[in-house]
Amino acid sequence: MNEKLIIGRSIETGSWVHKLDARAKITGMLLYVAVILLSRSWMAMALLAIFSIAVMASTRIPLKYFLKAAKPLRYLMLFIFIVQLLSVKTGEAVLTLGSWSIYEGGLRLGAFSVIRMFFLITFTALLTFTTTPGKLNQGLEGILAPFKKFGLKPDRITLMISISLRFIPTILDESQIIMKAQASRGADLKELPLKEKGRMLVSLLVPIIASAFRRAQDLVYSMEARGFRMDAPRSQYHRLRWGIFDTIFITMFIVMGIAVALV
Amino acid sequence: MNESYEGQELEGEGQAIISLDGVSFGYDPEHPILQNITLSISQGQWVSLVGPNGCGKSTLVKLLNALLPKGAGEIVVSGMQLSEETIGSIRQCIGMVFQNPDNQFIGATVEEDILFGLEGLCLSYAEMAERLHSYTTRLGINHLLSKHPGELSGGQKQRVAIASILAMEPGIVIFDEASSMLDEGSRNELLGILQDMRAEGKYTILMITHDADEILASDRVLALHGGGLAADVTPAELFRNEELLQKCHLCEPYPWRLARELQNQGIHVDVPASEKEFIDTLWP
Repeated sequence: MNEKLIIGRSIETGSWVHKLDARAKITGMLLYVAVILLSRSWMAMALLAIFSIAVMASTRIPLKYFLKAAKPLRYLMLFIFIVQLLSVKTGEAVLTLGSWSIYEGGLRLGAFSVIRMFFLITFTALLTFTTTPGKLNQGLEGILAPFKKFGLKPDRITLMISISLRFIPTILDESQIIMKAQASRGADLKELPLKEKGRMLVSLLVPIIASAFRRAQDLVYSMEARGFRMDAPRSQYHRLRWGIFDTIFITMFIVMGIAVALV
Repeated sequence: MNESYEGQELEGEGQAIISLDGVSFGYDPEHPILQNITLSISQGQWVSLVGPNGCGKSTLVKLLNALLPKGAGEIVVSGMQLSEETIGSIRQCIGMVFQNPDNQFIGATVEEDILFGLEGLCLSYAEMAERLHSYTTRLGINHLLSKHPGELSGGQKQRVAIASILAMEPGIVIFDEASSMLDEGSRNELLGILQDMRAEGKYTILMITHDADEILASDRVLALHGGGLAADVTPAELFRNEELLQKCHLCEPYPWRLARELQNQGIHVDVPASEKEFIDTLWP
């Protein structure tokens, strides 16, 4: 199993955030994204950092798990920082190396982008860490329910999401096995030049896609054998219940948004 | 095409719960996978379905609960003739456990996986809670409820698959090579579960298998070959019939092979039904 992959895995600690209604957590996360986009000063960033760390700590999940969630994107963050640094030429020049200059504006925007992205990833990981995929789907289904009037099928969307999340680790494991099988026959992807890597990638994708179709077929058999029929009525074991803490949770994000907009 | 054999109910058995009459199926009419299968399985029987790879075993069981489109012939399950109208009711009567435990795990956790089928039955919360507790305890997986599929062994995954099916309380349970991807220990565990199910007397078991021990434990063997029913025999009759064993690509169980070798050496021993019986024969 892919041990490093933590997408969609909940970490049970029994904290107050774990007990919240999934709809409250999804709405909170959407508000958080808006707040992040609104924050344009160092003071706003500091407020955001204090708020985020406080909420993360209240889940009683060790902070290292949140950092682990951001780790795979560290190079992307570095790339964004460098691009901002080199492309924004506002403010005073902080450093000049020959014809290249780094400006205060570039440094500021680069840092803001990285901080925003970092908090966006670590904080939204809170949603999956404190909510089981089943409850997450129920929450999403609940939020999308009003759109049924416009022909949207929330149950189909959530079923697709849950199956995708369920099979990501399985397909990653399978790709590892295929890569190792190819390496054992002398085609080690890591040691090939870039052009060959591209060609090899095709020979990697074909068996992975074929296997994904096979798995999908088996899964359909398994679902149908358990009586699943699209759009048929179903009961729910875990019911969504909106409580006072859910309202408090949402209010926290609204207050935070107002504070960030004002500073 | 091989000679067609008409399956019969064994003497002294109960009412037929599965009946097939002249069932044929194929994606290409010129190359049918199954041809003119007629058989009947009684309530409470444990039936092994054997045959070489590609002979149509999985196709046959998938036809029973309409996982494949209906071909020619009549299929009757629990008194209901298979049709578009009865698919839902028939699927409630038949539970299926497949070969690869990974590909039949629908939920993200063990609990969600077991609840998937129960929620589809529109059961009340109390009923779902009761069945969840009862079947996970029975299969020894109640401590795994919050686990993800990746955290389970092959044997545990297969137990989850069986619990998911049994919790739906079907009268018929089909195992489609359910033990072929398991290690020896997990395979023995599965055999133990099957024996417990038989002891309860409320399940009819149809098991596709190549495993001699599993065949020996069953009541009856249906052998498929070339898309037709080649034999409908008891396990003992199957293992005494060398031609049929070769046709089905099967080997004798270990005690049988050993007994035969001893007989060839001039030591008289009766062919035993199990390893335990063999030991009792040698050292009474």
